[in-house]
Amino acid sequence: MDIGNSTTEACVAAIDPDGTVHYLGTDLTHTTGVKGTPDNTAGALTAVRGALHRAGRRAGEVTTVLLNEATPVISGLAMETITETIITESTMIGHNPTTPGGTGLGVGTTVSIDDLAEQEPGSPVVCVVPHGWDFDDTATAVDRAVGRGVDVVAAVLAGDDAVLVTNRLTVPIPVVDEVAAVEKVPLGMLAAVEVAAPGRTIRTLSNSYGLATVFGLDPDQTRHVSPVARALTGNRSAVVVRTPSGDVTDRRIPVGELVLRGAGKSLRVDVDAGADAIMETLARVQPLDDAHGEPGTHVGGMLAQVRDTMADTMADGAADLVEVSDIAIRDVLAVDTFVPAEVRGGLAGEVALENAVALAAMVRTSRSRMQLVADLVSDGLGTATAIGGIEGEMAVSGALTTPGVDRPVAVLDLGGGSTDAALLTREGECSAVHVAGAGELVTKLIDSELALGDREVAEAVKRYPLAKVESFFHIRHEDGTVQFFDEPLPPQVFARVVVLTSDGPVPVPTRHALDHVRRVRREAKRRVFVVNAVRALRQVAPGANLRALDFVVLLGGSALDFEIPDMIADALAGSGIVCGTGNVLGTEGPRNAVASGLVRAYAADSVAAVPDAPAPGLAG
Amino acid sequence: MTTPPTTSAQPRRTVTLTETGPATRGTRRDEVVIAVSPAFAGHFTRTIVDVPHAEVLRQLLAGIEEQGVAARIIRVRDTADLAAISHTGARLSGSGICVGILSRGTTMIHQKDLARLSNLELFPQSPLLDEPVFRRIGANAAQYAKGESPEPVPTRNDQMARPRWQAKAALLHLKEFECIEPGRGPVEVQPAFELSSTG
Repeated sequence: MDIGNSTTEACVAAIDPDGTVHYLGTDLTHTTGVKGTPDNTAGALTAVRGALHRAGRRAGEVTTVLLNEATPVISGLAMETITETIITESTMIGHNPTTPGGTGLGVGTTVSIDDLAEQEPGSPVVCVVPHGWDFDDTATAVDRAVGRGVDVVAAVLAGDDAVLVTNRLTVPIPVVDEVAAVEKVPLGMLAAVEVAAPGRTIRTLSNSYGLATVFGLDPDQTRHVSPVARALTGNRSAVVVRTPSGDVTDRRIPVGELVLRGAGKSLRVDVDAGADAIMETLARVQPLDDAHGEPGTHVGGMLAQVRDTMADTMADGAADLVEVSDIAIRDVLAVDTFVPAEVRGGLAGEVALENAVALAAMVRTSRSRMQLVADLVSDGLGTATAIGGIEGEMAVSGALTTPGVDRPVAVLDLGGGSTDAALLTREGECSAVHVAGAGELVTKLIDSELALGDREVAEAVKRYPLAKVESFFHIRHEDGTVQFFDEPLPPQVFARVVVLTSDGPVPVPTRHALDHVRRVRREAKRRVFVVNAVRALRQVAPGANLRALDFVVLLGGSALDFEIPDMIADALAGSGIVCGTGNVLGTEGPRNAVASGLVRAYAADSVAAVPDAPAPGLAG
Repeated sequence: MTTPPTTSAQPRRTVTLTETGPATRGTRRDEVVIAVSPAFAGHFTRTIVDVPHAEVLRQLLAGIEEQGVAARIIRVRDTADLAAISHTGARLSGSGICVGILSRGTTMIHQKDLARLSNLELFPQSPLLDEPVFRRIGANAAQYAKGESPEPVPTRNDQMARPRWQAKAALLHLKEFECIEPGRGPVEVQPAFELSSTG
């Protein structure tokens, strides 16, 4: 039996006196409670009984239950935003209303529509329309002013009326709408409004020299407005108001330093330097003994949070409490990500993608309470139990039952909390490493980058392919193929991006197009699994040389993913490695490797120790 | 803050719906049909909470126009059942999308391939529907017609709406029922909005 972070797997086998192993049946179930705690017993018993049922055997026939020595690895996650966009003096409206009106560029002085009737003809005017104005009235008021000779060149509206107003004007002008805080737009200032044609983006206001031309800026001032131009890139519409000291700043939030200790030295790295810098520093202190965050900073808080969670986990139900200071962080994975956040000082609820760093940390513990689980399983089944084998070695042994695999073989166990690698050399020596970051981190990245705010939905996006429901009778898959249905699809999925779960399509609550969701999903998987696969294999490979590896077998729940194995295989292809998803026993796929490995190890031992060992034995 | 030139408290616009002939099936892919009930903007001129029908239609039309989609209005004469009205409209709509509406204000977005009693979005509590909601309903219908995925308009819910308005709703429904002309098919109507000081 293998009790993992998320699944418990069991395998029943009969062993002949000569050591030949006959596999009879397997089963898997969700792990109950945290790995390595007595709560596991319920799940363990379910899995054993399930495997026995499939094998057509009774519990009474079982000689021994073999349990894995659970790797004492627990991982935790934290995420912190490291940039912040602030607009001062309401200088810029850079949001993207779905339906702006008109096209072109209008430059003039901002005037409220209430004062438009008294406006003298002469200079160009940008009309600002507050809440409560009907689109018909707005169009009439503007037309009347234009009739008097007032040069109205553009308009900024509070409501969602831009197309309506433009359609009713005698002379169409560019109109930006849905500016929620329109009353904060400074009046009597020079402003520029630009709207691009559908499917295009603005050209003038997103260009620093365009802004300089429009507002007549000198080189020094142009340098000053370049953040404004950058903030507007990619928009279909924008408003820029020239105020004496208005500005857009892209502030870096000081998040503090990460202190990495290992290999006899202690290095410090600024977290806001980004994931690459952190990982590079980490590589210089391998093997890591511990990591700390500067107290009183965000990163200090992040790591303290991880530590606290782990202390709680390990103390769960235990008689004695674990000291938080005793917990050493043995690996860290930093990933650059972004979080959509509302811009401070924005007038229309503008959202900027702020940079963030996600940290996965892994803790090794000295205490495993597997013996307690073993005793409880023993009571439950009325058989002897034995704990044996290092998880990594057992996994390699199980992986060797995959057809077409030979020594030297490396396995990659892609789990929920950590990615584990183990290498079995031709001589039979085994080494294993655990690195932080796996499926959970991917889910978290998808959740925050798509602003889903729902872990369940993010998990579904991670696990299943996407499609767009184009009518009640057909969907377009993410690769472009169309599938038709005889029965109409449910109304709640109509016109939506959906994930194709085994229970049918489930809508993803996002405004993003399918392509964007797909890109975020694939990037999250690449940044975690591909990076970790290479990192972990380097640590076990002789001389850190990937070319020294021949066979790589992918195991674990995430090896069942529809694209992760391909992504890893692609990344390793350059090193001449045979890489693929394992097929334990030729039937089990990437599952059951450790349980099968335990049986093999037991069989080998029993032949060596007692040549006439009784059958059948059981690993479950 | 400033105030609009006239307050919207007193209705300023009225609407007359002129029948222009039997409603036909639309051929444009970019149109949404608005299907109104027998007594809408005829026997009745306001919803259950006194939102003028002129304003209801204007906002629905505005929501659709703002999305760059065309709109057509039809009147269904032989039933006062919202699902039947909406489904009739959806089958006549070039995009297959229809907004059906009863005189008291109950509204539904329907699609032609759906079962009659199903719907895309339903707004069952007529007393809670005001002008901004009608605007958003129009906008959503147009986005469905364009094949986009709009956020459903948040449906408000008021526990007290039912006890408070049920009697009035029943009376309005009876009156609407009396306006049914059995056996007469749906007709195309042309709206004419007029400004009026009295409302």
